[in-house]
This record gives sequence, C-alpha cells and structure tokens, in this order.
Amino acid sequence: MNTISVKNLKRIYKTTTGVIRRKTKEVEAVKDISFEISKGELFGLLGPNGAGKTTTTKVLTTLLIPNAGEVKINGLDIVKDANEIRKQIGFIFGGERGLYWRLSGIDNLRYFASLYHIEPEVSKKRIPYLLDLVGLKGRGDERVEGYSRGMKQRLHVARTLLHDPDILFLDEPTIGLDPVGAREFREVIRDLQAEKKTILLTTHYMFEADSLSDRVAVIDDGIIVALDTPSALKKHVRDLSVVEIETFGIAEIVVNKIRALPFVDAVSTREQDQRQVLLVQTERGAEAVPDLMKSLEGQRVGRVTVREPTLEDAYVRLVGGKS
Amino acid sequence: MRIITNNLRLFWQGTLLSYIALFVWLRPTTYIASKVLMPLAQILFFSFLGSYASGGTNVDFYVIGNAIQIVAVSGIFGVTLSIGGDRWNGTLPYLFGTPANRMMLFFGRAFMHIFDGALGVVIALGWGALLFGLDFSQTDLFALGITILVTTISTCGLGLMMGCLSLITANVMFVNNTVYFLLLIFSGANIVLETFPNWMQIISQMLPLTRGIASARLLISGSSLAEVTPLVLGELGIGIIYGWLGFYLFKWVENQAKRKGTLDLV
Ligand SMILES: Nc1ncnc2c1ncn2[C@@H]1O[C@H](COP(=O)(O)OP(=O)(O)OP(=O)(O)O)[C@@H](O)[C@H]1O
Ligand SMILES: [Mg+2]
Repeated sequence: MNTISVKNLKRIYKTTTGVIRRKTKEVEAVKDISFEISKGELFGLLGPNGAGKTTTTKVLTTLLIPNAGEVKINGLDIVKDANEIRKQIGFIFGGERGLYWRLSGIDNLRYFASLYHIEPEVSKKRIPYLLDLVGLKGRGDERVEGYSRGMKQRLHVARTLLHDPDILFLDEPTIGLDPVGAREFREVIRDLQAEKKTILLTTHYMFEADSLSDRVAVIDDGIIVALDTPSALKKHVRDLSVVEIETFGIAEIVVNKIRALPFVDAVSTREQDQRQVLLVQTERGAEAVPDLMKSLEGQRVGRVTVREPTLEDAYVRLVGGKS
Repeated sequence: MRIITNNLRLFWQGTLLSYIALFVWLRPTTYIASKVLMPLAQILFFSFLGSYASGGTNVDFYVIGNAIQIVAVSGIFGVTLSIGGDRWNGTLPYLFGTPANRMMLFFGRAFMHIFDGALGVVIALGWGALLFGLDFSQTDLFALGITILVTTISTCGLGLMMGCLSLITANVMFVNNTVYFLLLIFSGANIVLETFPNWMQIISQMLPLTRGIASARLLISGSSLAEVTPLVLGELGIGIIYGWLGFYLFKWVENQAKRKGTLDLV
C-alpha cells in the first residue's frame, strides 16, 4: 500500500494588494499534482523557485487545506484526519526559524515533546539520544539564540524525530549548511532511510537528490513535468554533452544568442565567485566548442570543459534552463 | 488516572517552558526589578495625583485601585506576548503541525501569568501599606486572596483574546497599550465609576478588573466574603467569557491560516 497518495491536488492563494483600491489576485501555486510514495521510499521533489514545492509540502503536513484533490497519508484523509496524521509525520521547513530562541536546545525539545504528548520518562531518554544523533551532544544546555545556523537546523531534525514518526517531510533541510554540515545531514537521512522511514525531500541541490532519492518528481509552475528514478531521468539527456565555459561578466544578451544557436538544447549559468559558468547542453559535444567560441568573441573566456550530463542537466532541460 | 496525571504533567511542563520561552522580560534581575518597581511607580504616581485632586481625603481608593490594576501588566502585556510571541519566533507552523491539545496549549500560555500577576498585586498592596499606611486590620485576607486571584484570571482571559488579535494585526504593542489605558480608565481604579456617563458605566461592567477592584476596596474596608461574592463571581464570569472568546478566536486563526495560507502564520 502506498504511504502517501496525492490525487489531482490543487492549491490557490488569494492575495490582496493596494490599500484604497484593493485588488484580489489569485496565484495557482499548485495546479494539478498527483503522485504516490510507497513505504520506505525517499521521494525527491525538485523544481525552480515558486514551482509549488513548499505549498505541496504544507498541504501534506496538514498546514494548508487543498482547494481540490485528495491527499491520503497512511490511508488517512489530510483534511478530515489531520490530527491523527500529525502524530505520524514529522516535518522541517528549512532555515533557522521555528525554534524558541530564549530556550536551550534541550528545553526546546522538551517543549515539543510535551506538544506531541510524549511522556516525560520517554523524552528524558529520547532527547539525549537525538542530540547525539544530530551532532549536538554537549551543546544542548545552551540557549538556541547562541546557536549557529547549522546547529539550529540540526536541532530541527532532532525536534522532528522526537515522536519517532514514520513519515518525514523535509523542505530544503540543508539550505545554508556548509559542505561538511550538509554531508553529515545526508548521513542522517541515510540512517533514516535504513530505518525504512518514508521521506519526501525538497532540495535545490541536484547531487543531493541524485544520491538520496529513489524517485524524483520535477515540478514546474504547479505541475509535475517529470517523475522517475534519477537514472531514468538522466537517460533523457543521455545523448547530450555539457560544455562548461567560464566567463567573466557576460551579458544576458550574449547568453540568449547562444541559447538561440541551432545545435544548442539548453543554456544555464552558474555564478562562481567573480565568474559565470555557462552550461551549454548540446548533442555535438566537443565539436560544438569552436562554434560556441565564435559566438563568444569579444568576451573574456576562461576554462572550457566538456562532460557527461548529470541529474542537474536533466533538470535544466526539463524546466527550460530557468534556474 | 494515569492519563490525567500525565496530561497534567505535560500541561505543567509546556506551561512553564512556554512562559520562559515567550515572556521576553525574563532575565532574573530585570524581572525582579520590574516586579517590585513597576507597582511602586504606578501606585506613587496615581495615588499622589489622586489624593492631590481629592484633597487627600481618599488615598486608599487610589492605592487599592492601582494595586489591583497591576494585574493588567501580566494579564494583558504578559499574556499577549506569550500568545503573539510564536509569531515572531516563527514557531506557529510547527505548533499547528503538532497534535497538541489546542485548549491546553492555549490556556497554558496564560497559566503562569496568573500567579505572576497575583504576585504583582500583593507587592503593590505591600507598597500601599508601607508608604500610604493601607490598613488590613479589618480585612478578610482569604477573601482578598480569592478576589486577587479571580481578578488576575479574568484579566488574563481578556489578555488571551488580545493575544489572538496580535496574531492577526501587525502592531501588537499598539493594541496592548490601548487596552491597558482603556482598563486604567474604565476599571474605576482612578475614577469613581458613578461619575461616568451611562454608556461608559456599561463598558466598565463589561470589562475585567472593574468588579475585582470594587471587591478589594470593600474587603479592605471590612466587608465579608459573602458581601462581595456577587462581584467576585461576576468578575470570574467576565474572565471566562473573554477566555472562551479568545479560544475560539485562536481556533479561528488556525483555521484561517490553513485556509488562506496567511503568510507569517504557516
Ligand atoms: N502564503 C502565500 N500567499 C500568497 N502566495 C503564496 C504564498 N505562499 C506561496 N505563494 C506563491 O505560490 C507559488 C508557489 O510557492 P512555493 O513556496 O510553493 O514555491 P517553492 O517551489 O517552494 O519555491 P522555492 O524553491 O522558492 O522554495 C509562488 O508563486 C508563491 O509566490
Ligand atoms: Mg519552498
């Protein structure tokens, strides 16, 4: 049986602007989304900013009511059985907010333990265990206001595991973590996978999604544009190569010129220190380089490399090189 | 039985932690200073002003009125901060995402402020005895204690409602100050209610504190518990009404947040 099932989910936001002449605008954040996650599966949710990932996650965590569609978790209805579902799920919305900064780490956990109706005897053992698990051993007595960003995010992980939920929703849990912290975090996620937890993970880090996910859904503008295993998604771009060109202060107009070249499938840029790295997807591989160079005449160009496509390239292809 | 004791323990733990977490003035020294000096300042100011205006005949009236009025500091400011604090901590989504019993959660936010507020009144009455010779020799102290507690509870009831408003409106402090000063006027702490026009008296009767202050004045001048019972019950009733309105408002806020996706709530 599927642990999570989402059928034709739709969610609209109404926003009002203007003080005197109020105008109501509707944003269809999630237009029509369906997917299923089976027990023990790690399901990655990818998509550009504003695609509707957080909105989807909020509906699944009982924080938003859907406008249409049906969502079931462990067979329970997300609207009718919200309170029962809350006992079975844990969730994190990335970032450092959502903790009581005046309390120590331990007291934060004790407070949330009381909200999950966990008996003090149980939480007394569970809290030290979790602090150890997330690498906060010995820091639990300090006030959260003195924690670094990474420490706060670790505390969030401990918080959401307090009641040992079987299902976890992690919305950009590694955002803003340093590389070592992010790697340690992925180790924690792997441990949870080994415990057969069902996990929905939203991330903007492709290698993270690639290495952790059993399946990935790419969502764009409120709909799912692809849903498959990472390796299957990569097959979509198997015939392509990626030419990476280091540039310095390249103008958008030049990028668009390259995008318009007939042998170019997609172009994205990545900021790196003072440089912008152009990622050009093309079937011609290394042969495309001379033509690309011609289009870049007059630009300062650094290193040029040609490589195999990654999940990120598959993603860029799918969402049209927007991000 | 076990379930009940467990629930009580959870309630207590949650209550205590949320009090520490959300009540921002709680640095020990600041707290003690505000607890001791705040009542002193208010009593001195209004009692001198009052006795000057009334020709020094009726100091007790102002001393008692302002001493009881002190509960509004905990009941309005404290409770509002305890409810509204979740907004600036960004904890509301995490709170609303738990299966926590909403009633325990909500009323738990006010619980410690009841004792905090009552303590403030006792300190203020102490200042009254010390500085203005307030005389308790005729007073049924047990009855006075009940009056203080009930008045604190009812003021916290209003505070719970204001706290919910602070989840909706942006300007918490403005709301707080307005209510505090409205209470200062309408509670009769510094003005004889009978001198109010009719409509103002009606408002007075609909607010907490009014009956509590009247009851305390009667008790200190020698009335018995039986004589003030209607006042005390009325005060309690008012508090319960505001508390319940607050609770429904709280549930409504949660519901609206889930419906509308109100930005900083979820
Ligand atoms: N509370 C809200 N009120 C109004 N509009 C909202 C609200 N929350 C999100 N939106 C809008 O809904 C759309 C989807 O937002 P959502 O936060 O789900 O995107 P996301 O995929 O999580 O993006 P990101 O990668 O930036 O986190 C966006 O257009 C956003 O502006
Ligand atoms: Mg998001």
